[in-house]
Amino acid sequence: MTPFEFQRLHEPIWRELELAAGLRRRDVGDAAPGTAGTAEKDRARFAALYRATCEHLELARVRAYPVHLVERLEALTAACHQRIYRQSDLGLARLGRFFLVDFPGTVRAEWRAVLLAGIVFVVPMLAVGVASYLDPAFILSIHDASSVDRYDRMYGDGSGGRRPEDSDWAMFGHYVRNNIGIAFQCFASGLFLGIGSLFYLAFNGVLAGSIAGYLTWRGLGPNFYSFVVTHAAFELTAIVLAGAAGLMLGRALLAPGRQSRRAALASTARKAVVIVYGVAAMLLVAAVIEAFWSGAAWIEPQVKYAVGATCWIGVLAYLVFFGRPRRR
Amino acid sequence: MRAPPVDEPLLDLRYRVETPEGIALTLAPAGVVARSVAFAIDFSIRVALLMTVAVALGLLGQFGFGLFMIFFFGLEWFYPVLFELSPWAATPGKRALGLKVVMDDGLPVTPAASFIRNLLRAADFLPFLYAAGLLSMLVRSDFKRLGDLAADTVVVHIAEPAHAELATDAPPRPPERQLSTRAQSAVVAWAARIPRLTPARAEELAAIAAPAVVPRAREDQQVAALAGVARWLAGQR
Repeated sequence: MTPFEFQRLHEPIWRELELAAGLRRRDVGDAAPGTAGTAEKDRARFAALYRATCEHLELARVRAYPVHLVERLEALTAACHQRIYRQSDLGLARLGRFFLVDFPGTVRAEWRAVLLAGIVFVVPMLAVGVASYLDPAFILSIHDASSVDRYDRMYGDGSGGRRPEDSDWAMFGHYVRNNIGIAFQCFASGLFLGIGSLFYLAFNGVLAGSIAGYLTWRGLGPNFYSFVVTHAAFELTAIVLAGAAGLMLGRALLAPGRQSRRAALASTARKAVVIVYGVAAMLLVAAVIEAFWSGAAWIEPQVKYAVGATCWIGVLAYLVFFGRPRRR
Repeated sequence: MRAPPVDEPLLDLRYRVETPEGIALTLAPAGVVARSVAFAIDFSIRVALLMTVAVALGLLGQFGFGLFMIFFFGLEWFYPVLFELSPWAATPGKRALGLKVVMDDGLPVTPAASFIRNLLRAADFLPFLYAAGLLSMLVRSDFKRLGDLAADTVVVHIAEPAHAELATDAPPRPPERQLSTRAQSAVVAWAARIPRLTPARAEELAAIAAPAVVPRAREDQQVAALAGVARWLAGQR
């Protein structure tokens, strides 16, 4: 069969498919849009024509048909392939399932990484916190004097970190950019055998612990803790989870199991990113709370403690209990 | 991946992925230079956007500053994600250079993959100026940066425009000798390229092939003779 006969024989199929795949505009000879039984409308027919065209492409290649013909069939099959095997993981139903099942489920499945991240974050935080409390000069080995002075002023004026309300939005923007950025960094740097995540976890733990310990020694504890207690439930948990997601990447590279390191990294990254989505959402909540609630001057510290405790219980309960399969 | 169907392995960096139907799609990964230029374009766009928005939101005081920081955050992390999930699968910079992001198997990039590759940009950036990403791209033949490795994605050149159909009107004539399949396809491919070649170049190429295909054609008739053979081979008899 010559290329021309081949083309004449199969041209109708290719043209129908090209139209359905959006590779050409509608022409005079074509069926009206949405006509039943065309590849455009009928998925089974689309698939059948696609398979036929794959066969044509292979024949054209083996018989060394002209380049333009092979290229046309290549473009056509590539476009159909993209349509048929396209994966979409967006959508509202998907989003609901994500927060109810996937996110807490993944966190529990990776409890070892979460535990390790938690220890690496909390232990330096407590150690440095106690050290700064016992020896107030210790904080100067972590922060410079001017930032220590700023913390003093922030929490020392009896306003407990409260600010004029028109700056709420400014702080919100700042928290979003700053905190979520830190969490993403904490995750991404896990790619270096997990070392980056360990560093960022410990580093942030040290920062938080030193400030808390120092302010407690200064007797500004009530101001400070009533300010941080509520959003810390989301923020600290999220940082630990981001670090855990980074550690997962590191573990995939260090101990890939029965896969190549590449394959282990790719499959682990798909799981880890689920946690990172959740972390981003939690930090968004934390930023809202930190900007509009924690800094609000009119709320009594007792109320803040109560709400903060509720949030802590809520967040932990969410991560521990949500999305478990039903027991019979 | 498997060997190309007809001839020996390709010498260039293209690689083939096989679809479930058993046909091979060809992908042409984009290298460091193209991607750096694309990045520079995107970076300029981002800076310009940021400055425009900063001026506009600057009028709104503290509230405007908050919005600006949120915008900054979005631009910093999600500018590429937004564009990669659009039908072009490429940021404006990549589009300008004819690049797009696809999955390893040639499929459109998924939201999760786009998210992963752009979050891990932070790792590619370390220790400074994308050194890690650059190193990774240089040692790999498919030019993946670390984010691409974890997300199973690859940045490819969009396929160049297809060859035209045979556009010659030379009278069809059979070749004077038996031609192998590869020789046949070479002649037809040459004929398809005539419109894109200068006449002198077309003659030059014809002079190489003519002795093997149409040895009796006069020297000034070689192009026409060979084009005629191409039509005959393609079936326009």
